[in-house]
Amino acid sequence: MGRESTFADAKIIQLINDNFIPVAADDWYQRRRDDDEGIFFRKVADQGPRKGQGGSTRQGIYAFTASGKLLGYRNHHDVDVMRRFVQDSLKAWEKLPAGERAKDVLNVGDVKKVDANYARTPPKGGLILNVTTRILDRTDDFFCHGTCKFPGGQRAAHDRLWLTADELQALTPRDVKVGQEIAMPAAATYRLARFHLLDNTRGEPPMWTRAQVRTANVALKVEAVNDSAVRVRLTGAFLLSTDADAKAAQRGYDVSLIGDIIYNPATRALTRFDVVALGDHWGAGPYTGGARPGRNPLGVALELANPERAADRVPPQAAREGGNYFRADR
Amino acid sequence: MRSVLLASLLLSVPTAHAAEPLKFEQLGKLHTLIKPQADEEKFMQIPWLTSVWDARQQAARAGKPILLWEMDGHPLSCV
Repeated sequence: MGRESTFADAKIIQLINDNFIPVAADDWYQRRRDDDEGIFFRKVADQGPRKGQGGSTRQGIYAFTASGKLLGYRNHHDVDVMRRFVQDSLKAWEKLPAGERAKDVLNVGDVKKVDANYARTPPKGGLILNVTTRILDRTDDFFCHGTCKFPGGQRAAHDRLWLTADELQALTPRDVKVGQEIAMPAAATYRLARFHLLDNTRGEPPMWTRAQVRTANVALKVEAVNDSAVRVRLTGAFLLSTDADAKAAQRGYDVSLIGDIIYNPATRALTRFDVVALGDHWGAGPYTGGARPGRNPLGVALELANPERAADRVPPQAAREGGNYFRADR
Repeated sequence: MRSVLLASLLLSVPTAHAAEPLKFEQLGKLHTLIKPQADEEKFMQIPWLTSVWDARQQAARAGKPILLWEMDGHPLSCV
Protein backbone atom coordinates (compact mmCIF):
# COMPACT_ATOMS: atom_id res chain seq x y z
CA MET A 1 0.00 0.00 0.00
CA GLY A 2 2.58 2.57 1.12
CA ARG A 3 5.04 1.63 -1.58
CA GLU A 4 2.53 2.34 -4.33
CA SER A 5 1.19 5.58 -2.94
CA THR A 6 2.61 7.43 0.04
CA PHE A 7 6.26 6.51 -0.33
CA ALA A 8 6.31 6.76 -4.11
CA ASP A 9 5.32 10.44 -3.96
CA ALA A 10 8.24 12.76 -4.74
CA LYS A 11 7.07 15.49 -2.34
CA ILE A 12 6.62 13.06 0.55
CA ILE A 13 10.02 11.48 -0.12
CA GLN A 14 11.63 14.92 -0.06
CA LEU A 15 9.80 15.96 3.12
CA ILE A 16 10.92 12.81 4.91
CA ASN A 17 14.51 12.91 3.70
CA ASP A 18 14.89 16.59 4.62
CA ASN A 19 13.18 16.57 7.99
CA PHE A 20 12.74 13.11 9.58
CA ILE A 21 14.66 10.07 10.73
CA PRO A 22 12.78 7.33 8.82
CA VAL A 23 12.32 3.83 10.21
CA ALA A 24 10.27 0.86 9.02
CA ALA A 25 9.14 -2.00 11.26
CA ASP A 26 7.04 -5.16 11.28
CA ASP A 27 4.11 -4.71 13.66
CA TRP A 28 3.92 -8.46 14.26
CA TYR A 29 7.13 -8.14 16.27
CA GLN A 30 6.70 -4.61 17.61
CA ARG A 31 3.35 -5.21 19.28
CA ARG A 32 4.61 -8.38 20.97
CA ARG A 33 8.21 -7.84 22.01
CA ASP A 34 8.71 -7.24 25.73
CA ASP A 35 11.87 -5.19 25.56
CA ASP A 36 13.08 -1.62 25.20
CA GLU A 37 12.19 -1.44 21.50
CA GLY A 38 8.66 -2.84 21.91
CA ILE A 39 7.83 -1.00 25.13
CA PHE A 40 8.90 2.33 23.66
CA PHE A 41 6.92 1.77 20.44
CA ARG A 42 3.75 0.87 22.35
CA LYS A 43 4.18 3.93 24.57
CA VAL A 44 4.10 6.03 21.40
CA ALA A 45 1.24 4.08 19.79
CA ASP A 46 -0.89 4.28 22.94
CA GLN A 47 -1.14 8.05 22.40
CA GLY A 48 -2.95 7.44 19.10
CA PRO A 49 -6.03 5.50 18.00
CA ARG A 50 -4.29 2.10 17.65
CA LYS A 51 -3.97 0.96 21.23
CA GLY A 52 -3.67 -2.71 20.34
CA GLN A 53 -6.73 -3.92 22.26
CA GLY A 54 -6.69 -7.70 22.47
CA GLY A 55 -3.33 -7.84 20.75
CA SER A 56 -4.71 -6.28 17.58
CA THR A 57 -2.60 -4.55 14.96
CA ARG A 58 -1.08 -1.13 15.51
CA GLN A 59 0.00 -0.69 11.90
CA GLY A 60 0.10 2.75 10.31
CA ILE A 61 2.37 5.74 9.87
CA TYR A 62 3.55 7.45 13.06
CA ALA A 63 5.45 10.68 13.60
CA PHE A 64 6.97 11.20 17.04
CA THR A 65 9.88 12.63 18.95
CA ALA A 66 12.94 10.81 20.26
CA SER A 67 11.45 11.20 23.74
CA GLY A 68 8.29 9.38 22.64
CA LYS A 69 5.80 12.21 22.14
CA LEU A 70 3.35 11.40 19.34
CA LEU A 71 3.13 14.15 16.71
CA GLY A 72 0.69 12.41 14.40
CA TYR A 73 -0.75 9.08 13.22
CA ARG A 74 -2.43 8.19 9.94
CA ASN A 75 -3.07 5.06 7.90
CA HIS A 76 -4.59 6.08 4.59
CA HIS A 77 -4.32 5.14 0.91
CA ASP A 78 -4.73 8.64 -0.47
CA VAL A 79 -1.46 10.43 -1.30
CA ASP A 80 -2.91 13.89 -0.68
CA VAL A 81 -4.10 12.83 2.77
CA MET A 82 -0.71 11.38 3.62
CA ARG A 83 1.15 14.42 2.27
CA ARG A 84 -0.91 16.64 4.57
CA PHE A 85 -0.24 14.22 7.42
CA VAL A 86 3.53 14.52 6.95
CA GLN A 87 3.31 18.31 6.67
CA ASP A 88 1.05 18.56 9.74
CA SER A 89 3.40 16.32 11.73
CA LEU A 90 6.27 18.61 10.84
CA LYS A 91 4.26 21.64 11.96
CA ALA A 92 3.52 19.89 15.27
CA TRP A 93 7.26 19.29 15.67
CA GLU A 94 8.06 22.92 14.93
CA LYS A 95 5.55 24.06 17.56
CA LEU A 96 7.47 22.23 20.30
CA PRO A 97 9.72 24.36 22.49
CA ALA A 98 13.14 24.87 20.93
CA GLY A 99 14.70 23.04 23.87
CA GLU A 100 12.80 19.86 22.98
CA ARG A 101 13.92 20.01 19.37
CA ALA A 102 17.58 20.84 19.89
CA LYS A 103 20.35 18.40 19.01
CA ASP A 104 21.91 16.26 21.74
CA VAL A 105 19.50 17.41 24.46
CA LEU A 106 18.13 13.92 25.01
CA ASN A 107 20.61 11.14 25.72
CA VAL A 108 19.18 7.91 24.33
CA GLY A 109 21.40 5.16 25.67
CA ASP A 110 21.94 1.74 24.19
CA VAL A 111 19.25 -0.92 24.39
CA LYS A 112 19.43 -2.75 27.71
CA LYS A 113 16.68 -5.32 27.36
CA VAL A 114 16.17 -7.47 24.24
CA ASP A 115 13.33 -9.99 24.02
CA ALA A 116 14.98 -13.12 22.69
CA ASN A 117 11.57 -14.50 21.67
CA TYR A 118 11.16 -11.78 19.06
CA ALA A 119 14.63 -10.44 18.27
CA ARG A 120 15.86 -11.77 14.93
CA THR A 121 19.41 -11.26 13.73
CA PRO A 122 21.17 -12.82 10.75
CA PRO A 123 23.16 -15.96 11.64
CA LYS A 124 26.71 -15.14 12.70
CA GLY A 125 29.12 -16.12 9.95
CA GLY A 126 26.21 -17.00 7.69
CA LEU A 127 24.86 -15.51 4.50
CA ILE A 128 21.97 -13.24 3.53
CA LEU A 129 20.42 -13.58 0.09
CA ASN A 130 17.94 -11.08 -1.28
CA VAL A 131 14.87 -12.80 -2.68
CA THR A 132 12.67 -11.08 -5.25
CA THR A 133 9.43 -12.51 -6.58
CA ARG A 134 7.43 -11.30 -9.56
CA ILE A 135 4.50 -12.47 -11.64
CA LEU A 136 5.42 -12.94 -15.29
CA ASP A 137 3.59 -13.48 -18.55
CA ARG A 138 4.68 -15.61 -21.49
CA THR A 139 5.59 -13.95 -24.78
CA ASP A 140 6.10 -15.72 -28.11
CA ASP A 141 9.71 -16.56 -27.30
CA PHE A 142 10.33 -15.64 -23.64
CA PHE A 143 8.72 -13.92 -20.67
CA CYS A 144 7.78 -10.37 -19.73
CA HIS A 145 6.51 -8.61 -16.62
CA GLY A 146 3.11 -9.96 -15.70
CA THR A 147 -0.12 -8.02 -15.43
CA CYS A 148 -2.92 -8.51 -12.93
CA LYS A 149 -5.98 -6.74 -11.56
CA PHE A 150 -4.71 -6.67 -7.96
CA PRO A 151 -3.32 -3.17 -7.20
CA GLY A 152 0.46 -3.40 -7.06
CA GLY A 153 0.43 -7.16 -7.69
CA GLN A 154 2.63 -6.70 -10.75
CA ARG A 155 5.47 -5.26 -8.65
CA ALA A 156 8.49 -7.15 -7.39
CA ALA A 157 8.07 -8.50 -3.86
CA HIS A 158 10.95 -8.77 -1.42
CA ASP A 159 12.24 -11.17 1.19
CA ARG A 160 15.58 -12.41 2.51
CA LEU A 161 16.91 -15.94 2.85
CA TRP A 162 19.32 -16.69 5.69
CA LEU A 163 21.92 -19.46 5.53
CA THR A 164 23.82 -20.55 8.63
CA ALA A 165 27.61 -20.55 8.91
CA ASP A 166 27.66 -24.37 8.68
CA GLU A 167 25.53 -24.30 5.52
CA LEU A 168 27.76 -21.67 3.98
CA GLN A 169 30.81 -23.81 4.71
CA ALA A 170 29.11 -26.82 3.14
CA LEU A 171 28.33 -24.86 -0.02
CA THR A 172 31.89 -23.53 -0.43
CA PRO A 173 34.30 -26.47 -0.05
CA ARG A 174 38.00 -25.73 -0.49
CA ASP A 175 39.46 -28.63 -2.45
CA VAL A 176 37.22 -29.27 -5.40
CA LYS A 177 37.66 -30.45 -8.98
CA VAL A 178 35.73 -29.68 -12.13
CA GLY A 179 32.74 -31.97 -12.37
CA GLN A 180 32.53 -32.57 -8.64
CA GLU A 181 29.11 -32.41 -7.05
CA ILE A 182 28.51 -30.43 -3.87
CA ALA A 183 25.75 -31.56 -1.54
CA MET A 184 23.17 -28.90 -0.66
CA PRO A 185 22.33 -29.22 3.06
CA ALA A 186 18.82 -30.57 3.49
CA ALA A 187 17.73 -27.80 5.85
CA ALA A 188 18.76 -25.16 3.29
CA THR A 189 16.99 -27.01 0.49
CA TYR A 190 13.74 -27.17 2.41
CA ARG A 191 14.10 -23.61 3.73
CA LEU A 192 14.38 -22.40 0.16
CA ALA A 193 11.36 -24.43 -0.89
CA ARG A 194 9.02 -23.90 2.03
CA PHE A 195 9.68 -20.26 2.83
CA HIS A 196 11.00 -18.63 -0.33
CA LEU A 197 9.43 -20.31 -3.35
CA LEU A 198 6.02 -18.78 -2.81
CA ASP A 199 3.81 -16.02 -4.12
CA ASN A 200 4.22 -13.03 -1.82
CA THR A 201 3.32 -10.47 -4.50
CA ARG A 202 -0.03 -9.60 -2.88
CA GLY A 203 0.92 -9.71 0.81
CA GLU A 204 1.75 -12.30 3.42
CA PRO A 205 1.42 -15.80 1.93
CA PRO A 206 1.03 -19.09 3.78
CA MET A 207 4.30 -21.00 3.98
CA TRP A 208 4.51 -24.49 2.56
CA THR A 209 4.47 -27.26 5.15
CA ARG A 210 7.16 -29.93 5.05
CA ALA A 211 4.61 -32.38 3.63
CA GLN A 212 3.60 -29.97 0.86
CA VAL A 213 7.10 -30.16 -0.60
CA ARG A 214 6.24 -32.98 -3.00
CA THR A 215 9.50 -32.94 -4.94
CA ALA A 216 12.81 -31.31 -4.02
CA ASN A 217 15.81 -31.70 -6.28
CA VAL A 218 18.85 -29.46 -6.14
CA ALA A 219 22.20 -30.25 -7.77
CA LEU A 220 25.40 -28.24 -7.43
CA LYS A 221 28.18 -29.08 -9.87
CA VAL A 222 31.63 -27.50 -10.10
CA GLU A 223 32.06 -25.95 -13.54
CA ALA A 224 35.46 -24.27 -13.25
CA VAL A 225 38.27 -23.93 -10.73
CA ASN A 226 41.32 -21.70 -10.45
CA ASP A 227 43.30 -20.23 -7.57
CA SER A 228 40.92 -17.35 -6.98
CA ALA A 229 37.51 -18.68 -7.98
CA VAL A 230 35.34 -21.78 -7.98
CA ARG A 231 32.31 -21.59 -10.26
CA VAL A 232 29.34 -23.79 -9.46
CA ARG A 233 26.25 -24.44 -11.58
CA LEU A 234 23.00 -24.92 -9.67
CA THR A 235 20.10 -26.78 -11.22
CA GLY A 236 16.94 -27.86 -9.51
CA ALA A 237 13.24 -28.53 -9.50
CA PHE A 238 10.54 -28.36 -6.86
CA LEU A 239 6.91 -29.32 -6.83
CA LEU A 240 5.02 -27.61 -4.03
CA SER A 241 1.32 -28.27 -3.66
CA THR A 242 -1.40 -28.31 -1.05
CA ASP A 243 -2.58 -31.72 -2.25
CA ALA A 244 -0.54 -34.82 -3.02
CA ASP A 245 -2.24 -34.78 -6.41
CA ALA A 246 -0.87 -31.52 -7.80
CA LYS A 247 -3.59 -31.41 -10.45
CA ALA A 248 -6.23 -31.27 -7.71
CA ALA A 249 -4.32 -28.93 -5.40
CA GLN A 250 -5.88 -25.55 -4.60
CA ARG A 251 -2.47 -23.95 -4.40
CA GLY A 252 0.83 -25.00 -5.92
CA TYR A 253 4.08 -24.05 -7.56
CA ASP A 254 5.78 -26.28 -10.14
CA VAL A 255 9.17 -24.71 -10.60
CA SER A 256 12.64 -25.20 -12.10
CA LEU A 257 15.84 -23.54 -10.93
CA ILE A 258 19.10 -22.46 -12.52
CA GLY A 259 21.97 -20.69 -10.81
CA ASP A 260 25.52 -19.43 -11.03
CA ILE A 261 27.60 -19.40 -7.84
CA ILE A 262 31.18 -18.15 -7.54
CA TYR A 263 33.38 -18.20 -4.45
CA ASN A 264 36.99 -17.79 -3.48
CA PRO A 265 38.35 -21.22 -2.46
CA ALA A 266 40.89 -19.68 -0.06
CA THR A 267 38.60 -17.31 1.81
CA ARG A 268 35.35 -19.10 0.92
CA ALA A 269 33.83 -15.68 0.33
CA LEU A 270 31.02 -15.67 -2.20
CA THR A 271 31.18 -13.13 -4.99
CA ARG A 272 28.09 -14.33 -6.85
CA PHE A 273 24.96 -16.24 -5.89
CA ASP A 274 22.59 -15.62 -8.77
CA VAL A 275 19.70 -18.07 -8.86
CA VAL A 276 16.40 -17.97 -10.72
CA ALA A 277 13.34 -20.12 -10.06
CA LEU A 278 10.62 -20.09 -12.69
CA GLY A 279 7.46 -22.08 -13.07
CA ASP A 280 3.69 -22.00 -12.90
CA HIS A 281 2.02 -20.95 -9.66
CA TRP A 282 -1.65 -21.24 -8.87
CA GLY A 283 -4.00 -20.38 -6.02
CA ALA A 284 -3.97 -17.90 -3.13
CA GLY A 285 -3.78 -17.86 0.66
CA PRO A 286 -6.08 -16.22 3.25
CA TYR A 287 -4.19 -12.91 3.02
CA THR A 288 -3.15 -13.06 -0.64
CA GLY A 289 -6.48 -13.02 -2.43
CA GLY A 290 -6.81 -11.66 -5.94
CA ALA A 291 -4.50 -14.18 -7.59
CA ARG A 292 -4.71 -14.48 -11.36
CA PRO A 293 -7.04 -17.29 -12.40
CA GLY A 294 -5.43 -20.54 -13.46
CA ARG A 295 -1.74 -21.37 -13.52
CA ASN A 296 0.62 -18.57 -14.42
CA PRO A 297 4.37 -17.96 -14.51
CA LEU A 298 5.96 -16.77 -11.28
CA GLY A 299 9.66 -15.96 -11.08
CA VAL A 300 11.93 -15.82 -8.04
CA ALA A 301 15.43 -14.31 -8.16
CA LEU A 302 18.08 -14.72 -5.46
CA GLU A 303 21.31 -12.77 -5.16
CA LEU A 304 23.86 -11.75 -2.53
CA ALA A 305 22.59 -9.09 -0.15
CA ASN A 306 24.58 -6.17 1.17
CA PRO A 307 24.66 -6.70 4.96
CA GLU A 308 25.68 -3.07 5.44
CA ARG A 309 22.30 -1.97 4.09
CA ALA A 310 19.62 -1.90 6.80
CA ALA A 311 16.91 -3.14 4.43
CA ASP A 312 18.99 -6.22 3.62
CA ARG A 313 19.09 -7.18 7.29
CA VAL A 314 15.29 -7.35 7.62
CA PRO A 315 14.47 -10.87 8.86
CA PRO A 316 12.92 -13.35 6.46
CA GLN A 317 9.13 -13.34 6.68
CA ALA A 318 9.25 -16.96 7.82
CA ALA A 319 11.66 -16.11 10.65
CA ARG A 320 8.53 -15.41 12.65
CA GLU A 321 8.61 -19.19 13.05
CA GLY A 322 11.71 -18.75 15.21
CA GLY A 323 14.08 -21.71 15.18
CA ASN A 324 11.77 -23.65 12.87
CA TYR A 325 13.00 -21.41 10.07
CA PHE A 326 16.38 -23.09 10.31
CA ARG A 327 14.92 -26.59 10.74
CA ALA A 328 12.80 -26.53 7.62
CA ASP A 329 13.62 -30.15 6.74
CA ARG A 330 11.91 -31.51 9.85
CA MET B 1 26.94 -35.31 7.36
CA ARG B 2 23.73 -36.85 8.72
CA SER B 3 21.68 -33.98 7.29
CA VAL B 4 23.36 -34.38 3.89
CA LEU B 5 22.63 -38.12 3.86
CA LEU B 6 19.06 -37.43 4.90
CA ALA B 7 18.77 -34.92 2.09
CA SER B 8 19.99 -37.49 -0.41
CA LEU B 9 17.28 -39.87 0.74
CA LEU B 10 14.55 -37.26 0.79
CA LEU B 11 15.53 -35.82 -2.54
CA SER B 12 15.26 -39.18 -4.24
CA VAL B 13 11.46 -39.23 -3.98
CA PRO B 14 9.92 -39.88 -7.44
CA THR B 15 9.04 -36.61 -9.13
CA ALA B 16 5.71 -35.36 -10.37
CA HIS B 17 7.38 -32.11 -11.37
CA ALA B 18 6.45 -30.93 -14.86
CA ALA B 19 8.05 -27.49 -15.28
CA GLU B 20 10.47 -27.14 -18.17
CA PRO B 21 14.15 -27.14 -17.13
CA LEU B 22 15.76 -23.73 -17.40
CA LYS B 23 18.72 -23.12 -19.68
CA PHE B 24 21.83 -21.54 -18.23
CA GLU B 25 21.77 -18.98 -21.04
CA GLN B 26 18.41 -17.72 -19.71
CA LEU B 27 19.72 -16.97 -16.22
CA GLY B 28 20.94 -13.40 -16.69
CA LYS B 29 17.92 -12.26 -18.66
CA LEU B 30 15.46 -13.81 -16.22
CA HIS B 31 17.34 -12.48 -13.20
CA THR B 32 17.16 -8.95 -14.59
CA LEU B 33 13.50 -9.34 -15.53
CA ILE B 34 12.43 -10.46 -12.06
CA LYS B 35 14.50 -8.05 -9.97
CA PRO B 36 13.13 -4.59 -9.07
CA GLN B 37 13.30 -1.95 -11.76
CA ALA B 38 14.57 1.48 -10.76
CA ASP B 39 11.25 3.23 -11.24
CA GLU B 40 9.29 0.84 -9.03
CA GLU B 41 11.46 1.21 -5.94
CA LYS B 42 10.88 4.86 -5.15
CA PHE B 43 10.25 4.03 -1.50
CA MET B 44 13.88 2.96 -1.30
CA GLN B 45 14.96 6.54 -2.02
CA ILE B 46 14.27 6.99 1.69
CA PRO B 47 17.12 5.68 3.91
CA TRP B 48 14.93 3.57 6.17
CA LEU B 49 16.35 2.30 9.43
CA THR B 50 14.92 -0.94 10.79
CA SER B 51 15.19 -0.33 14.54
CA VAL B 52 13.01 2.20 16.35
CA TRP B 53 15.65 2.45 19.05
CA ASP B 54 18.37 3.29 16.52
CA ALA B 55 16.00 5.88 15.07
CA ARG B 56 15.56 7.37 18.57
CA GLN B 57 19.31 7.68 18.96
CA GLN B 58 19.78 9.29 15.55
CA ALA B 59 16.81 11.63 16.03
CA ALA B 60 18.10 12.82 19.41
CA ARG B 61 21.54 13.50 17.96
CA ALA B 62 20.18 15.23 14.83
CA GLY B 63 17.38 17.20 16.48
CA LYS B 64 14.78 15.71 14.14
CA PRO B 65 11.46 13.90 14.55
CA ILE B 66 10.99 10.24 13.65
CA LEU B 67 8.68 8.91 10.96
CA LEU B 68 7.75 5.26 11.47
CA TRP B 69 6.22 3.07 8.74
CA GLU B 70 4.68 0.20 10.72
CA MET B 71 2.89 -2.64 8.94
CA ASP B 72 1.82 -6.22 9.57
CA GLY B 73 4.63 -7.79 7.58
CA HIS B 74 7.78 -5.74 7.23
CA PRO B 75 7.22 -2.73 4.91
CA LEU B 76 10.59 -3.35 3.25
CA SER B 77 9.72 -6.97 2.72
CA CYS B 78 6.67 -8.70 1.34
CA VAL B 79 3.82 -6.22 1.86
